[in-house]
Amino acid sequence: MISHAKVAHMKTMTRLLSGLALSLAALALCPSLEARAAGTSASDAQLVQQGKYLAIAGDCMACHTAHGGKPFAGGLALASPLGNIYSTNITPSKTAGIGNYTLEQFTRALRAGVRADGAHLYPAMPYTSYAQVSDADVKALYAYFMHGVAPVDTRAPETKLPFPFDIRLAMAGWNLLFLDDQPYKPVPDKGELWNRGAYLVRGLAHCSACHTPRNTLMAEDASQDLGGAYVGPWYAPNITSDANSGLGGWSEQEIIEYLSTGHTAKAQASGPMMEAIDFSLRHLSNNDLKAIAVYLKSVPAIHEAADTKAVFDWGSASDKLDTVRGAAWPSNPDQMTGAQLYDAHCASCHQAQAQGSFKGGLPALFHNTATGRLQTNNLVLTILDGIHLPAQGNGVVMPGFRDVMSDAQVATLGNYLMQAYGNPAGKVTAEQVAALRKGAPAGPGPQVDLVLVARVGLVIAGLVLLLILYLIFRPRRRRA
Amino acid sequence: MAESLNADYVVIGSGLIGSLTAMKLAQAGASVLILEAGPRYSRDQIVANFRNSPRRSDWMSPYPFSPWAPHPVYKPEDNGYLIQAGPYPYPAEYIRMVGGTTWHWAAHAWRNVPNDHRIHTLYGVGVDWPVSYDELEPFYQEAEEIMGVSGADNTGSPRKKPFPMEPVAEPYAMRRIRERLDPAYKVVTNTTARNSRPYDGRPACVGNNSCQPICPVDAQFNGGRAVAKAEAAGVKLVPNANVYKLESDAKGRVVAALYYDPNKGTHRVTGKTFIVAANGIESPRLLLLSSSDKFPKGLANARDMVGRHLMDHPSTSLTFDADEDVWLGRGPQSPSSINTMRDGDFRKEHAPYRLDFTNISRVDGATTALIAAGVYGAEFKRRLRYSAARELNVKTVLEVLPHPENRITLSAQKDGMGIPKPEAHYFIDEYTHKGAIRALDDFRRIAELMGGTNLRYTRDGEYANNQHICGTLSMGNDPATSVVDKWGRAHDHENLYMVGTGVIPTAGTCNSTENGLALALHTVHHILGGQSGGSASVQS
Repeated sequence: MISHAKVAHMKTMTRLLSGLALSLAALALCPSLEARAAGTSASDAQLVQQGKYLAIAGDCMACHTAHGGKPFAGGLALASPLGNIYSTNITPSKTAGIGNYTLEQFTRALRAGVRADGAHLYPAMPYTSYAQVSDADVKALYAYFMHGVAPVDTRAPETKLPFPFDIRLAMAGWNLLFLDDQPYKPVPDKGELWNRGAYLVRGLAHCSACHTPRNTLMAEDASQDLGGAYVGPWYAPNITSDANSGLGGWSEQEIIEYLSTGHTAKAQASGPMMEAIDFSLRHLSNNDLKAIAVYLKSVPAIHEAADTKAVFDWGSASDKLDTVRGAAWPSNPDQMTGAQLYDAHCASCHQAQAQGSFKGGLPALFHNTATGRLQTNNLVLTILDGIHLPAQGNGVVMPGFRDVMSDAQVATLGNYLMQAYGNPAGKVTAEQVAALRKGAPAGPGPQVDLVLVARVGLVIAGLVLLLILYLIFRPRRRRA
Repeated sequence: MAESLNADYVVIGSGLIGSLTAMKLAQAGASVLILEAGPRYSRDQIVANFRNSPRRSDWMSPYPFSPWAPHPVYKPEDNGYLIQAGPYPYPAEYIRMVGGTTWHWAAHAWRNVPNDHRIHTLYGVGVDWPVSYDELEPFYQEAEEIMGVSGADNTGSPRKKPFPMEPVAEPYAMRRIRERLDPAYKVVTNTTARNSRPYDGRPACVGNNSCQPICPVDAQFNGGRAVAKAEAAGVKLVPNANVYKLESDAKGRVVAALYYDPNKGTHRVTGKTFIVAANGIESPRLLLLSSSDKFPKGLANARDMVGRHLMDHPSTSLTFDADEDVWLGRGPQSPSSINTMRDGDFRKEHAPYRLDFTNISRVDGATTALIAAGVYGAEFKRRLRYSAARELNVKTVLEVLPHPENRITLSAQKDGMGIPKPEAHYFIDEYTHKGAIRALDDFRRIAELMGGTNLRYTRDGEYANNQHICGTLSMGNDPATSVVDKWGRAHDHENLYMVGTGVIPTAGTCNSTENGLALALHTVHHILGGQSGGSASVQS
């Protein structure tokens, strides 16, 4: 399967390109290095519990724990084209972790991406989202990390990126442009539940980190908020309120069910979303999940023209068994038909006509977003690697077929599924499968590789722009 | 032909037990080579073959037949590979292919009951095992953790640790049987190597009801998965390597295995230790084929014990129509049984047995029967529905005692590679027959409790073979009556071990794979140096 590290790597690769933009902004802004004495002393059990819940909501564990490592001791390697970025030790160890952090320093790291020693964090840390977290919740998180987490005195490996990306101060300029470091302010006329949902979605749950596309400087494009974006090889789909492209056709209950199990008749989580659910979202209270659902259903609709009907509304039950029965397998397995591949690999669970069974326990493949979107990467990756529960012993929800199917076979099967059960405009190619098999962010259409290359070019151009912007913003900021 | 394969351990046969034995040795750092007579075939090919087969109740039909590694085939007609010397037929089915015969099985993974190990002492029949239940207990546990086994806790086999998982959900038909037979009979969930939850990278059972011939999702453990685990541990597997002789030196040490490739090219493989794991028929056959001037009767056969004590678990059965719809065919094929007749003082008089309820869909069988009876049209539809909904079947799983006359020998006939075919000599004795007679009372009572009509018993003296090939390489302390010692080592050959169901001394009433695997893990423990007896610590 796509491992946790790989997923982190995808997120990081995306975010890291932003680092390119920043090297020039390495100017002033030298925060104080003085370490103030650790602030709180008394451990308020309730506060610690609250902080623990919030840490789960923020999914801190996912990145700050190495495979098989101690909780929050960091050291998870987030591979990037520029070298590994290692997550840090955020246990209360005074020698290796954040045990010496004051509440203020902790707050600054969380919301502004600045370490106690003044160095800037790489935006692998989603501080642009965490910036929304309230003072009270930051305090609870701080209490948890100081008193609810066992200190681990082992330092995580240091991240050493090549010049110029080693100049962390470069992030300061980017932050000036794209970081709103003010905590969430409730919208008075929206009600408590909606505000709670907005607070979580925009803040700790950091949904936009994956689901919102990024602009040429790799910052989230607010005009496309939650409109769907590639995250490495995966596609984090549109979760706006659009009836066809997004969640407009979902009931609140369906969204809650999805976030707490990763499984509904309409859609099933896999890859990084299943990871987010398994480590984080399924632990949230029903009220918080309901709040998220209420808020998501209010997010301004972004419609994709190709979605002429709802992405969970394509296809119908059918089979092509008449072409399979009595027909010999071709001597070259790459020439097997989609119906033959479906019969051998899929029908045992998804049934002869892809109708699924057990009231959706084994999902139908029609009327399912798995086959309803033009972006077919997730379908291919799920065929290759199946669906696993990374926080539950990597348990298999669906087995992967990486070892038994060739690229050509996966392409044939993928196209068969799209044609027979999904949006027939969606295509799968063998080249796409080959790239995805390696974990490369390849996909159909121009969204991926070429765009990345182009963005690098744009970023270099953007450097000049940034310099100008920085010069404009700096004086104002100082006056403020 | 020049071939220079060599390993610390050479395992002959890639079935579930041979592969897991190889895996354990490789995990301990040894170089391990498996020689498998048959070809490599993937699960999806078998699934496709099965779905495309016109004979879906013939569980051998999806499996390839390889002329260079022949195995018995009975449908549509007997290929004459396993010669039947009689007087009673022993139509064993097995698969010569990478992974072996557990590609298709019902995944029953029973432990003995403790008294199975002492039936000579306690009941004056059969022989005692050289390994006690308590000695074997940690290896049963290890076997269950490797395969992913679940079951009821109250089947007479004590355990020190819980099963690795909860039982698979009870199918509706089994629930009704359990409810209606209570309290006269206690119907319990079978102990099976079938996932009720994701386990070891395999998904949970989704109820395809084709455990035999193939679990299409690997929810049940099988030889294919065992091979995958062995290869992941670093074992090298050579398919299409039909071993026809083990060479030995003057001291009785085995020095090489000779095999034919599909073109009958000869290859020679050397090793330090040889482990024969080619099932209860092919393993004795290979030993008998490995004769030399020093060992004219074959290897490990100085006292003419190889191939003897052939056993199985013969079945009689009752089919009837219940007075309510139960719809067999949902969930796994063999989910529930009655275990109250597995042990007792009656074993002095007659065979013990388990009573097993089938859950195999009746549609194929009923369709065939109706067509044969000339039924068609609306009447066909009505009666097919009735049979599919109402039909139930319960069978005995009877113990047979180890008799030296029941044996595998070499036939005068040769197979396609010019190697003598195996020949089965078999009879079913009064002890087993009396057990079957005793079980008729249970059959009648069960039918009565289910409101049964149209009772169809198997004919008196007619037994179905359950393909639990055991005996033939009997384990025992006395070289005069056994082939291997309690560690599975040939009495006369210090570097020759045998694993598999062939080494089982008495059949008991439990399907043989788990017993064979537990004994194999016990053997591995010995080979790797932990020979301390009862308190063996298990590496997992």
